[in-house]
Amino acid sequence: MSKGVHRFAVFVACATFFLIIAGANVTSHDAGLATSDWPLSNGQVFPKMVGNLFWEHGHRMVATAVGMLTIVLAFYLQFREPRTWVKRLGWAALGAVVAQGLLGGLTVKLNLPLIVSATHATLAQLFFLITVSLAVFTSKRWIESEPLEMVEGPPVRALCVFSLAMILTQLVLGATLRHSATWDQDLPTPLLVAHICGAVVVTLVLSTTIASVVLRFRSETYLTRPAAIAACLLVVQLGLGLAAYMTRRTSPNDPQPLTPMVAVTVAHVACGALVFAATIVLTLRVFRMVRAKQAEYRLAHA
Amino acid sequence: MLSKNARLWLGLIAITSLLSLASSCSKGGDEANDNTGPTEGAGKTYTAKNNEGTISGVVSYNGTAPENKKIDTSADSACTSKSPDLKTEEWVVADGKIANAYVYIKDGTLADGSKIGDYGKWPNMPASATLDQNGCHYHPHVLGVVVNEPISITNSDPTQHNVHFTPKNNPDWNQGQANGAPALVHKLARAEVLVPVKCNQHPWMKAYIAVSKHPFFAITEKDGSYSLKGVPPGKYTVVAWHEGGANGTEQKMDVTVAASGAAKADFTFGGTAMVQPSSWPMLEAITFPTLHNH
Repeated sequence: MSKGVHRFAVFVACATFFLIIAGANVTSHDAGLATSDWPLSNGQVFPKMVGNLFWEHGHRMVATAVGMLTIVLAFYLQFREPRTWVKRLGWAALGAVVAQGLLGGLTVKLNLPLIVSATHATLAQLFFLITVSLAVFTSKRWIESEPLEMVEGPPVRALCVFSLAMILTQLVLGATLRHSATWDQDLPTPLLVAHICGAVVVTLVLSTTIASVVLRFRSETYLTRPAAIAACLLVVQLGLGLAAYMTRRTSPNDPQPLTPMVAVTVAHVACGALVFAATIVLTLRVFRMVRAKQAEYRLAHA
Repeated sequence: MLSKNARLWLGLIAITSLLSLASSCSKGGDEANDNTGPTEGAGKTYTAKNNEGTISGVVSYNGTAPENKKIDTSADSACTSKSPDLKTEEWVVADGKIANAYVYIKDGTLADGSKIGDYGKWPNMPASATLDQNGCHYHPHVLGVVVNEPISITNSDPTQHNVHFTPKNNPDWNQGQANGAPALVHKLARAEVLVPVKCNQHPWMKAYIAVSKHPFFAITEKDGSYSLKGVPPGKYTVVAWHEGGANGTEQKMDVTVAASGAAKADFTFGGTAMVQPSSWPMLEAITFPTLHNH
């Protein structure tokens, strides 16, 4: 196990989170078409970064940096990582970031069609998930972890997977909602209602999962820590969601995208990504630690 | 069955092909002259009979008009230097009269029984229009054109602009324009009231373009006045549109124009409606240190 690989994987995950923030700023500032060409910006590699071009081209620059880091990570894993499936995941991450770049170009060239923009936003979250997973898989604790004693109760692995699925659905709804109307237009009510209902579902499912993990494995910090972090982030995310709704509801009356609306909506996107990340960390660790004993339990009671 | 490598390469080729296709079909391309969609200029030709009249009037505001909101232009120093006190132009009201209201004949029947919509060609069709970007706002704020009338878009600012038409009945159109670049020319092939125009570079910039099949429209002046000339005798529905409110508001009036007559149609907006304050007080924009001036 290489500490350097793990540290670099963590760095790439952090850089990807920063990229998600950069991308969210593009949408909140309505800067997606600040330049109508791609991959250059107004025909230049380094245009004058004024107005909304600061956000759009800045986003492209951060994306390029993350792409470069992902290339390095893929090669780093290829040469220093003994597990073939982790190497493959590294190459999958590279494929995802390339696809993400192409989607970004496509959405600009087609004047931001909803389906392409929403797919671009969703793939960003999935790519972030891959980088976080790579950081987990390359960690010392993952490699050296021991399975836990079997504890009776609801299937915690299934709960974790279900939580992930619900969060992903909510992210897709959120991405579609954000890209369906610019800051000076009202959000479409059906999508808004669906996203709010999604928040309720995610809260119920994730809370149940967290409670199940914390109550059954309370002495195991390897599991309870990501569960507790997910719980805190969920509370923050609900508050940010409410604030985002309140600022976004009245933004059509504003002269331009104002700082409070931009800050809150970007924070809501970023926190959503963190909730997703905390849940994948929890899920991966649960699968790692609970699996062996469950198999033994089944064999013993067959 | 294809091998894994073959499938991977095919996937990459498919994605690259898709992007190439998208580039070639791009609506945000470099064409300076865009004429998309079937023309709506088709129809009968109206021949002047020297008995045409006018519809004129004044558009007023009842009560105290909402204040226009201050715009923060600090994101582009070129805008701040040229327009240090830029405000929105939703409400240009002076002495109770509204400017920038779009007044037009929505439909109607001529004295001979034909509909105004039957005609596609009129004697006094405007030849061209100009939309200028100056001081990081559009001049004029509201523009009226006829279908397929060339709209010349100029950039009089020392900065890059990005013109983005966001119509419902016409194709979306987005084009960057550097300072000093030649004028862009664009045409809208379908009637639409109204096409919002924005700049993706400077999100506070806003204009509206109304597209009509006939030339009987006007934008009110600062004194709220307008005049529709050369209107054939008949009965018409005249509409005054103003952008105040979330999606703009309209008022209608039935007007009869006698042969060589002068009909009057005054409109009044305002009263208890349309007070929509900004959601938050203006705060300082977030600035980041950059290599270039921001």
